[in-house]
Amino acid sequence: MNKVLNPIPPRRSQYGVDPGFVKKRMAEYPEMKAIYLRELFPELPQVIFPGENGLDKVRQAVHKELEKVDMSMIGPEDSVNICASHHGFTLGGGEPYAELLKAIKDVIEEKTGTKNIRLRAGVGLRFRETEEYIKSFGLDEYFDGQAKGVAPVDEGIPIETEIGTLYGLKSIYDADWIVHAHNSDVREVHFHRQVDRAVKPFAMSYARIDTRSTYHHNLGPRGANFTARAIFSSDFVQSKFAFTAILEMSPLGIIGVDADNDLYSLNDRITVSGCQNYGKVMTLLGEIDECIVGLDFPCPVPYVFAGGVIYANFVGANVDLFDLDNPLPPYTWYTEAFYDSKGKPLFKETPPPNPAIKMVVHNYAWAGYPSAFFSEHIPTIVVGEEQANLFREDPQNLSYMKHSVIAESLDAAMAFAYRGTGTDKVIVFDGAAGGINVSKSLYELLKVKAPEVKTRVDEKLFPKWLKQRGINPEELNKKNEKCR
Amino acid sequence: MRLVKMIAQVDMDGCIGCKICERICPTLAMEVVEGKAKVNFELCLSCGNCQQRCPEEAIKMVKREKPFTVFVDPEQVDKKEIERICARAKMNPEQLACYCTETRVKEVVAAILLGADTPEKISQKTGIRTGCKVECIQPALRLLEAADIKPERPEGYQWYGRTPTIWDITDEIKELYSGRGFYFDADIELLEKIARQKENHEEGKNE
Ligand code: SF4
Ligand code: SF4
Ligand code: SF4
Repeated sequence: MNKVLNPIPPRRSQYGVDPGFVKKRMAEYPEMKAIYLRELFPELPQVIFPGENGLDKVRQAVHKELEKVDMSMIGPEDSVNICASHHGFTLGGGEPYAELLKAIKDVIEEKTGTKNIRLRAGVGLRFRETEEYIKSFGLDEYFDGQAKGVAPVDEGIPIETEIGTLYGLKSIYDADWIVHAHNSDVREVHFHRQVDRAVKPFAMSYARIDTRSTYHHNLGPRGANFTARAIFSSDFVQSKFAFTAILEMSPLGIIGVDADNDLYSLNDRITVSGCQNYGKVMTLLGEIDECIVGLDFPCPVPYVFAGGVIYANFVGANVDLFDLDNPLPPYTWYTEAFYDSKGKPLFKETPPPNPAIKMVVHNYAWAGYPSAFFSEHIPTIVVGEEQANLFREDPQNLSYMKHSVIAESLDAAMAFAYRGTGTDKVIVFDGAAGGINVSKSLYELLKVKAPEVKTRVDEKLFPKWLKQRGINPEELNKKNEKCR
Repeated sequence: MRLVKMIAQVDMDGCIGCKICERICPTLAMEVVEGKAKVNFELCLSCGNCQQRCPEEAIKMVKREKPFTVFVDPEQVDKKEIERICARAKMNPEQLACYCTETRVKEVVAAILLGADTPEKISQKTGIRTGCKVECIQPALRLLEAADIKPERPEGYQWYGRTPTIWDITDEIKELYSGRGFYFDADIELLEKIARQKENHEEGKNE
């Protein structure tokens, strides 16, 4: 068994407790070991980051990929907005995404001669989050003071789409050209269901609240991401769109950079790799029969990572989230909305949150995302009064603590969790790169289950997932070979 | 229902009177008077929007001496009326309209029936849109429309308008994209089933 992998360190932020309050990490317990993803699935692709000279490799990959991208539409006097999202900064500690943004700027400047290149970085529900990243990664200086965090409550503009009027953020579109800088991390598969994943920011971090509310209330659990396609396909956005460049992700880290003038072609490629790589890890996590979950990562509750997968996905791992025949995942905002005031689902076939999660030890995770659903449905112990107070005062988490108990220390929380659940299986969502920090007992279970999961995904689930999304992998390969 | 424990406080020296806070406050609690932002003590429901967007970082959230709750009891209004409006909006009275404040659709409709004729007034009465401030504007606009109310837009950019719903998707679009993973008809069936579920659920006979 391997010794534990380093968890991502706490990050100073207005959305989390001061790192000084994080006294102990879950990975420090002697019963914890690391299971490497490559032990489980040796076929996962090689990564360029983390690794030796990782950032240089990211930069080189950006230069190489952008060689084939047409930028002839951008004149030397034109303005260009490089549009980014907060999610990118939660991958690999944030530096690779910052490097992607810097390198895109350099290549545009080189190829087109324009110096009027700005960064517009959108957010989720923490309106100053990208302002924090812009500062900590030196993006403001790099973009000559032209880097700006944008939020969904900022001034908007109407965008006429094929389904009606939707609204984008004015400062995303206030340039002659826009460049979409993203990543292929599967992340919120409960929301987008791996349909048009690469397009999603057009309905989220680049969009007004009016549009984001459309996504989460108006179009249904499997129609939601059409909001993004409608906006992206609009004449207005098409008249400004230059190209996309993304960090290509796998659960192991960054496998490369992909760029294209055709966002839908790129989207098809990442749909395939996302289903194939993340699909296996998620399916494997669905095999866990019982466990204690540790939250220990600088992100809001649903977004803490283990094995490249977010906690919200584990809450839904009792259901195949990629399978579009399943209408409602155990957790998504539609699902949450459809529990009545007595706590009963209005749709009686609603699957419950993953019953394998016996208790959650919330050692370190941020506020700034409505998370009461999690503590209401799963027994939760929050470590430390400071963290409890942070949640009590957060307008998005007014009742998170109503459903949680508080432990003075991590030791007390873990002792309670072991006693209360009777299980010794523990999985920690702490962002460890390359593997997952788990207890010995869980290590054994994952090891035993992985080969069958691999076969099931490769032979049965993967072809089904692609078929549901209208993708024929052979045709896609042919098309890609032609382009390259 | 919204428990209000905090209030926005403006640092007068830091405020440059740019009006951004006024334009984004969901309860219209901010007003710039003589070049400085002023908070309305009763109307501020501590959503944090202004504190999060003030370009000068001149606003902080401080504890109120006396926390209070805003809530509209749906029992005050005719249940049949709530059901009628919800049915028109294709929503279930029991479903959540706002996750952060756990405000249900029936409470929003009750507020409308008691005179809230704009999203801002609904927010003032129920607390909806004072949590994450992002996801709940459409339920408010759809329910107002179902009550035959055309709300007036405030001067700021609190909201722009009611956007399309899944029922607005044309057959042509459905045909074009249903093979690409968009299950519009199946989702319509699901949402309508949930919208109807209310009466049956209350009578104890699940569909
Ligand atoms: S946003 Fe800030 S600077 Fe602008 S008026 Fe309000 S308090 Fe003053
Ligand atoms: S309701 Fe929100 S935006 Fe309005 S004053 Fe209070 S904290 Fe600021
Ligand atoms: S986004 Fe809006 S609707 Fe959603 S939970 Fe937050 S405040 Fe409520």
